[in-house]
Amino acid sequence: MGTRILSVDDSHTIRLIVSRAFRDYDCQICEAANGEEGLAVAAREKPDLILLDVTMPVMDGVTMLTLLKADPVLKSIPVIMLTAESGRENVLAIARLGVRDYLVKPFKEELLVQKVGHIVPLQKKVVA
Amino acid sequence: MTAMNQAKSLDIRQLLTGHIADVFHTMLSLDAIPQPKGPLPNFGERITGSVGFGGDRVNGAMYVHLSIGLAEELACAMLKSAAPQISDTEINDVVGEITNILTGQFKSSLSDAGAGCAMSTPAIIRGLSYQIEPSPGVRRELLLFHCRAKPMAVEVHIKFN
Repeated sequence: MGTRILSVDDSHTIRLIVSRAFRDYDCQICEAANGEEGLAVAAREKPDLILLDVTMPVMDGVTMLTLLKADPVLKSIPVIMLTAESGRENVLAIARLGVRDYLVKPFKEELLVQKVGHIVPLQKKVVA
Repeated sequence: MTAMNQAKSLDIRQLLTGHIADVFHTMLSLDAIPQPKGPLPNFGERITGSVGFGGDRVNGAMYVHLSIGLAEELACAMLKSAAPQISDTEINDVVGEITNILTGQFKSSLSDAGAGCAMSTPAIIRGLSYQIEPSPGVRRELLLFHCRAKPMAVEVHIKFN
């Protein structure tokens, strides 16, 4: 089984872009549309890495991350935050939450793959 | 200069023009070409993405106005799909996400200038003829662009408290 990545974002567009970015890699992408769903999927699938949006309805990314880090089973899963906000204040707040990295939207798919590849192993799919 | 004065002195038009160019180039590989000041164009059937922002020192909203045709082209570009396969829900989501990213960049500039605020999730308006009127005391900036020779407008309503 390849690397399991959980994409948590309320935007279908961003989830699709994330899936597309890893289509050439041996990855299994699972998705959630808010933090509440994200926690449930994380508990069920035990992903190798979580890509987490900040601003979402129902439960935002900061709350999900706080609950994730308080869970003894899930707290070791590395998280990359995807944020539309690049301000110093926001970046510092994200860093304090214990994320491994962050990516500011708009982003290139290649940069996303590069950042994920620095944290978990990514293998290119073998073309028959 | 106080934080409030620093935020008030931001060149909103210049900031937004840069943010829009960045978003369109990075996410869509398209150019948004600034146009001279003027009234809101007649789009025919229109779609508007909207995201609010608010904090102790500032509140307001960002609106991105597009014709349905241009919105469909942007959705195709972002999702790398052909037009017949794009649903209205997907078009709404793409317009909402573009508005969200633009507002996020604008919010970052406000925060860095001392006017931190939070953002709402995006909302979408569709229709043939509507205007969004600012409340009394709210500053309105309207920026016009062309993308693929089609008109597009970005409108921001902002009030410093």
